Amino acid sequence: MSQFGDRTTEEILSDTLIRGDAALASTVPILRHLLENDDQSMFTDEIVARVRGMVRHIARQLLFALAEAAGESDPHAFAEHGFERLTGLLARDSALLGHAHTLALEYQLCERLYARIGLDPVLSPFLRTLFAASGTETSPAAMAVVAAQARFCQQQRRMELPLAELPEALFQSALSALHMPAVDLEQQIVTAAQSQLRAAFDERASRCGLLTRLVASQNQTGTPVLEATQAGVSLFISALAHATGQDRGGIVLAICDRQMTRFALSLRAAGLPAAAIETQFACFHPDAVAPYGFEMVDREQAALILSQSAVEIAD
Amino acid sequence: MIDVGTFLARASSDSQDRLIEADEPLAGLQRRCGGELPGVIAVPALLELVRKCRLFRLKSSQAIQAQDGENQIDAWVEVTPKQGESSGCDIVATSWKSQPMKLENLVEYAERKAAIDRQLAELHARLDPAQNILAVEAQALDLADLAARMAQGAGQPWTDFVTIVGSTQRQPMHWRLLDGATLVIDGSDRRWKAGFVPLGVPEPGSAGFELYFVADQPLIRTQSAILQRPDRSKATMVGRDIAPVLRQPIARIVANAETIRTRLAGPLADEYGRYATDISAAGKHLLALVEDLADLEIVEAENFSTAPDRIDLADVARRAAGILSVRAQEKGIAIEAPQDGAHLPAIGEFRRVLQVLLNLVGNAIRYTPEGSTIWLRLAREEGIARVIVADQGPGLTEEQQKKVFEKFERLGRTGDGGTGLGLYISRRLARAMNGDLTVESAPGEGARFILDIPANQVAVTRP
Repeated sequence: MSQFGDRTTEEILSDTLIRGDAALASTVPILRHLLENDDQSMFTDEIVARVRGMVRHIARQLLFALAEAAGESDPHAFAEHGFERLTGLLARDSALLGHAHTLALEYQLCERLYARIGLDPVLSPFLRTLFAASGTETSPAAMAVVAAQARFCQQQRRMELPLAELPEALFQSALSALHMPAVDLEQQIVTAAQSQLRAAFDERASRCGLLTRLVASQNQTGTPVLEATQAGVSLFISALAHATGQDRGGIVLAICDRQMTRFALSLRAAGLPAAAIETQFACFHPDAVAPYGFEMVDREQAALILSQSAVEIAD
Repeated sequence: MIDVGTFLARASSDSQDRLIEADEPLAGLQRRCGGELPGVIAVPALLELVRKCRLFRLKSSQAIQAQDGENQIDAWVEVTPKQGESSGCDIVATSWKSQPMKLENLVEYAERKAAIDRQLAELHARLDPAQNILAVEAQALDLADLAARMAQGAGQPWTDFVTIVGSTQRQPMHWRLLDGATLVIDGSDRRWKAGFVPLGVPEPGSAGFELYFVADQPLIRTQSAILQRPDRSKATMVGRDIAPVLRQPIARIVANAETIRTRLAGPLADEYGRYATDISAAGKHLLALVEDLADLEIVEAENFSTAPDRIDLADVARRAAGILSVRAQEKGIAIEAPQDGAHLPAIGEFRRVLQVLLNLVGNAIRYTPEGSTIWLRLAREEGIARVIVADQGPGLTEEQQKKVFEKFERLGRTGDGGTGLGLYISRRLARAMNGDLTVESAPGEGARFILDIPANQVAVTRP
């Protein structure tokens, strides 16, 4: 009946204070980041808007699924109810936020390289050769990647992130957000909505899954997938992540955040020779030079340094 | 650029923000913006300013911008409300500047067009330089079939799958000729326009195209819902329009009253605490009433129907008892729900049956004395699954039993949070499920409310 349900006024007020404290605590690190970095492209209005849009889109999809499970005739009206609260809840999931952020950055990279060197985000030269090589019978894997990339660009423009595109762990945690008390529904409806969504979920059919599969099929080193100007931004990111055992998002950040060393070491660990690494640098950062000394470490050393840093971050 | 400097134009508006008289150039602007004289102010920025000043009886002056199709106008306007409660405003415009609108350059225009197409498109496809399909994706239901055919036909020109209105040429023509072409699509009643974004530098289109289909009108999403329930538009005025608007302010009243009651903002004399309790209780009552009125509308709709779920009436009864157990405990009342092993298969809409039982048990808690017991009993008759909610309250006379299911019937009670709608709605719900809700009682002997719904005959009776 009442919107406050079983929560007391005291609880509501104290929750509000806790949220306020969290917001205050984060102002200084944000400010410090902005001051220390000349390159503000990680947090432009556009990037922030895209991240917000994606989180809201996820909330909307979840609520639509609930509406369907509850047999609501007007899912749009239903989704309004509890929407802000669910969005707020999802926005507190840092892994989800991070994922959305790296997607927005990846798209930004795609757009920039298209504008600068005409590198097609959907149909890269490498994919084009796959199409051409197979004649009329185009490779289904390449076909699927082109379709997925076309969808990705369209989704990014519309600031959307379909649930089906989430990595499995993030998908599960997004589903668990449905247990929030904002929507006054029977538990079994929530469970029904969740199992419906789970049944439709297939991580291998997601864009990242398709990219990885295509990369894995090109398993000899020195293939064009490790050349950004050939592979295209998205395939290149997947290839580098695959070759170095890193997370896609980590690679995106290493490229965008001008973590030159991480980027150079990743390329090294993927087995690229010095000249090729210089080329990749020039592609993403035409005004910067590759960091000093990376050519002196060999492939194994580079991989070792990277994995140690990953452990430290994880610790 | 025409700069009129500190030009003075006077105008005046009435209580409905109609411009009743105006000097030039204000009068001309009003007409070029599509307005009349006298008529409602047609300059959006000016209308906003005048409305604000009239409503708040506040003198205000600010810069406004307007466009009349050819010129961009920047003016400084002073608005003064006229004397008298329900009158309009005096408007004085000074520093009137008018300059031709900047023409957008072609690049900006193309970008904006691409952005709009991409946003509105319900089908987008990626084409190679020869306009053959590489990938396709559609969002709209009436395009699902087309998208499937186009995906099947990857490698063929997109023009093979649609009809281009007014063109008998061999397709595909140059993309510039097809950009903006009107399309007819099998399976869709809407008219479509093709939009192209050429890719590749330096020659646009050398790397292929993005192709967008934009419809002349949106697909009415709730069409099926509206068709199913034709009377909902007027019937759910409370539920859809009023209840959402009322809930929030009432909830705020309750929250603030609770804040006062719990003395969060500081110590308070006891009687004020009691007033706050009253405010809070009244607010909660209002909320309940809003919910009930919304329900009332739904159950009174002509073709209201319920879903024939297969439910276990015993389970629903246990849930109802569980949900209200805390409220019962507060009054020291015990609820005796059906045993865990008991089952009673029935046909009815789960949440509606639960709603009825919550209402019955809630009433029982409200009217039965502290320390007493409420029973939920199951029974099975020929084709009927029955649950009985019995209390040890004061009971009802014959006359009261006749009236108790009537709309807004409170049996003379006040101040207990009831709305007089619960039993009325509950009976409507029971009857909509091909069942019934009745009462048996005598003064001093408590009341037995009996909910009957069709039994699920097919279900195997479990041990």
